[in-house]
Amino acid sequence: MTNINTVLDQLASEGAAPQTGSTLRFAAPLLAVLALCAVGVALVLDGAFASMARDGMGPIAVKWSFSVALLTLCGIALLVLGKPGRPSKAAMVAISVPFVPILALLALELSIAGPLFYGETWRECLAAMLVMSPIAFTGAILGARTLAPTNLRRAGLVAGLFGGAVAMTAYAPFCPERGMGYLAVFYLLPILTMAGVGWALGPRLLRW
Amino acid sequence: MGRNHDQKSPYGSSLDSLMAAAQAGDRKAYRQFLAEASDRIRAMLVRKTGGDSELEDVLQECLIALHEKRHTLDPGRPVGPWMYAIANYKLIDQWRKRGRSRLVLDDEVDMDVAADSFAGMDIAALLGELPEPQAEAIRMTHIEGMTNREASESIGIGVSAMKLRVHRGMLRLKEIVDEQQK
Repeated sequence: MTNINTVLDQLASEGAAPQTGSTLRFAAPLLAVLALCAVGVALVLDGAFASMARDGMGPIAVKWSFSVALLTLCGIALLVLGKPGRPSKAAMVAISVPFVPILALLALELSIAGPLFYGETWRECLAAMLVMSPIAFTGAILGARTLAPTNLRRAGLVAGLFGGAVAMTAYAPFCPERGMGYLAVFYLLPILTMAGVGWALGPRLLRW
Repeated sequence: MGRNHDQKSPYGSSLDSLMAAAQAGDRKAYRQFLAEASDRIRAMLVRKTGGDSELEDVLQECLIALHEKRHTLDPGRPVGPWMYAIANYKLIDQWRKRGRSRLVLDDEVDMDVAADSFAGMDIAALLGELPEPQAEAIRMTHIEGMTNREASESIGIGVSAMKLRVHRGMLRLKEIVDEQQK
C-alpha cells in the first residue's frame, strides 16, 4: 500500500492538465506518409492523369472515391480505437462501406462483360502498392502509438487498410487501367493483404 | 485494503468530477481521482484474478498508464469506461507476459510446508495469528482435508482466491514458526 501511495503522489505531482496537440501528434504521421507517397510517386512516374483524355473522369473518380473514403474512415477508426472505452463497432462497420459500391460495380461488370482482370500496367501497379503500402502502414502505426489502442489486432488491421488506401490514392492518377476486375485484383487484394499483415503484427507493433 | 483517501473529497466520489477538476489544474483533485481509481481498479483486479499475487504490480501499471494516456480521455466523456478499458488491457497484458498463466502458486509447496514445519505445534494457536480468511482457508484445506475447489465453493470465492489465501497463510505461518524457533 505504501508503494501505491508513493506512486499516487508522484503521478499527482505531475498534474493532469490536458496535453495539447495530441490529435495533431496522431494525425501528423498519417498525413506525412500520404504526402510522402504522393510526392514520391510523382517524382518517379510521369503522366499523371494521362488516361483522363481517353476515359474521362470516371475511372479516377471511382478509384479516388474508394481510396480517399477508405483512408479517411481508417484514420477516424484509428483515432476511435486509440481511445480506450470508446465503442468502435460503428467505425469498423463504416470502413466496410467503401467496399460495397466497388463490389457492386465489379458484379455489374462481371455480369455484362465477364472478367476483366488483366491490365497492361499491372507490374507498375503491383510494385507501387507493394512499396508504398508498408510505408503508409508504418505512418499509421506511429500515429496509433501516440494513443492507447486496447484492441491491437483490430487497430493493426485498420492501420493495414490505411496503408493500402494511401498507396492506391497516390498511384491512382498514374494508372490507365479502368476495369473493375483489375481494380479488385491489383488494388483491393493488396489492400486486404496489408490489412492481414496489420492484423498479424498489431499486437507486436502497437503494444504499450 | 483500506481506502487511500486522506481526507473527504469536496468533489464527491465521482470520478468524472474529480477528473474534470484535475484537468482544470487542481492537483489535489487529481490525487483524489487517482486514489479513487486505485480502489476501483483494485476491486476489479481482485474480482477478475481472485487476488493474484502480482495484483499490486498490475495496479501500479494501470495507474501509470492512466496518467500517461490521460490525453486519450476526451473532455466530457465518462471516465469509467476509459479507466476500466485501460485496466483490462493492462491485466491481459500481464497475463500474456506471464505466459497466460493466471496464477502462479505451488500447492505442493504449501502442503510440504505444513507437513515439515508444524509438527508438534499448537496449530490452533498458530492459526490465531493469521487473518481469519487465511486461517479459515488453511483449516479447511489442511486440517479438514478439503480440496481447494471444495473449500472455495463452500465459502463462495474463486479457486484462485482460495489458493492465494492458503499460499499467503502458509508463508506467514512458516515465518511465525521460524521466529519461534530462533
